[in-house]
Amino acid sequence: MADLLGIGVLFAAVAAATLVAVWLNKSVIPFYILIGMLLSPSVAGQFSVAGYGLPVVESSEFVELGAELGIVFLLFFLGLEFNLDRLLESWERITRAGTIDLGINFGAGLVLGFALFRDPLAAFLIAGIVYISSSAIITKSLIDLGWIANDEADPMLGTLVFEDLFIAVYLTVAAALVTGGSDVGAAAMSVGVALSFIVALLLLARYGTPWFERALQTTSNEFTVVRAVGITVLISGFALAIGVSEAVAAFFVGMAFAPTTHTHKLESLLEPLRDTFAAVFFFWIGVETDPRLFAGVAGLVAAAIVVTTPTKILSGYLSGRAYDLNPRRSMRVGLGMVTRGEFSLIIAAVALTGAGTSLSTALANAVYSFTVAYVLLMSILGTMLMQYSAPFEQFATARFGTE
Amino acid sequence: MDVTETDLPGVGKKHEVDIGGGQQLVVVTHNTGTRELYLKEDDDADSEKLLELSDRLARMVGTILEGAYFQPVESSHVETMLSEGTLLEWYAVENDSPLVGKTLAGANVGQRTGVTVVAMQRDGNVIAGPSPDMQIEASDTLVVIGERENCEQFERLLTGDL
Repeated sequence: MADLLGIGVLFAAVAAATLVAVWLNKSVIPFYILIGMLLSPSVAGQFSVAGYGLPVVESSEFVELGAELGIVFLLFFLGLEFNLDRLLESWERITRAGTIDLGINFGAGLVLGFALFRDPLAAFLIAGIVYISSSAIITKSLIDLGWIANDEADPMLGTLVFEDLFIAVYLTVAAALVTGGSDVGAAAMSVGVALSFIVALLLLARYGTPWFERALQTTSNEFTVVRAVGITVLISGFALAIGVSEAVAAFFVGMAFAPTTHTHKLESLLEPLRDTFAAVFFFWIGVETDPRLFAGVAGLVAAAIVVTTPTKILSGYLSGRAYDLNPRRSMRVGLGMVTRGEFSLIIAAVALTGAGTSLSTALANAVYSFTVAYVLLMSILGTMLMQYSAPFEQFATARFGTE
Repeated sequence: MDVTETDLPGVGKKHEVDIGGGQQLVVVTHNTGTRELYLKEDDDADSEKLLELSDRLARMVGTILEGAYFQPVESSHVETMLSEGTLLEWYAVENDSPLVGKTLAGANVGQRTGVTVVAMQRDGNVIAGPSPDMQIEASDTLVVIGERENCEQFERLLTGDL
């Protein structure tokens, strides 16, 4: 179903997912994925009622492009909210917390990935997948729980910013390695192209501000939206065409817009666009997932949860201490960082593009289903840990004191 | 007084205001304009959410807290509806108003327009229930009460349109 009816089913389904999320008072992201999975050929396609097949949404060109636009807008927003000057003010503490987080979790991810999949590229992808916490879900939980007004919000948001910056570079390398194939020379070549493109974008973000300022100089909301989308999607599309991650390109375009006077307007005007296509992205992740493959990766996912939940709690705890927080609040930082989400899924989507070239199809699919199952469970576990943090906090206070 | 400002990437800004007794008022301003108000009993306590205000409401509450006149008396046309059709209005007396120099009784306000002058504001002082022999001066503010059409009539008298 790639016609209008199919798209209608898609949007009605994600709309239904929001109802369920509100009803259960949980983040909506896992429900987008679940409903996508339910309507995919591998689930709904298997059943029929009274001889009629259930409505199935297949991964059509529209869905795939919509999902890609979702990634582009998600990362564009991330770039837009980056204020380099502000960032530099608290750079020292952010780097300290961020480095602890990176060292422990990325390191553990590399070891875990290699132990589980016995492949260096897969290990590199798994390291990114288990390293990156979910900015979207964690920020939402911080607001819902009222922690946003507490001291623990600072190291958490600071670490998320560090992770986002790191993931921009990481995605560039990962996308280049995956498309570069197993040939070392070709891989080095595509990493080189990708990194030079990033440097070009960085220069554009640094020195192009006057141009971006003028580009959006208009009193019409319509023209602002159309021009911003035109610039962002064109540059992202060009990046993808030459084998660079579209997400990273969008991130830098967002950064280029950040110092202009239009930032606030862009945020309010493009937010609905981002939310619409991000929903398509999460839905598409679900559609691409065959839950039957979960059985095959269940053991791997269990191992990953057992390893990477404590590592995040530990790194978060140490980050909290680096911000001079007491053990109780540091424990909260740890619990709060456990949630993984959208970026892990973006890495999984990158892994899928390497199926049959740099990764064997079976391996790419395994990494992909592993990630979807892992993210679904971690998003639930992470938000639960934040909601029921009291016993952990008591433990931290009893064990490490109040100062 | 201690106020600290913190960036909340992806959310907005946080302001912590020391309000004495170890208590802190925490204001989270979201990028959407929504403000959340929290109270922190002491340095170690968790923030307790007091309320959430939309951008517009927050600005209105801010004006009241600031002590600025919520209905600025300088304006030549500010109205408060007392009941259906009855208004309490503020009028600034301009230099060129024909009423300048006349007493309230001499201007015959009540007879000509049907409104009652209930207060006069002069140099920041409010004279409630001014006597009929009080003289109207330029840059006074008159507070009158009456039906809407009477108030409109009074405005014309005040500006010399009548």
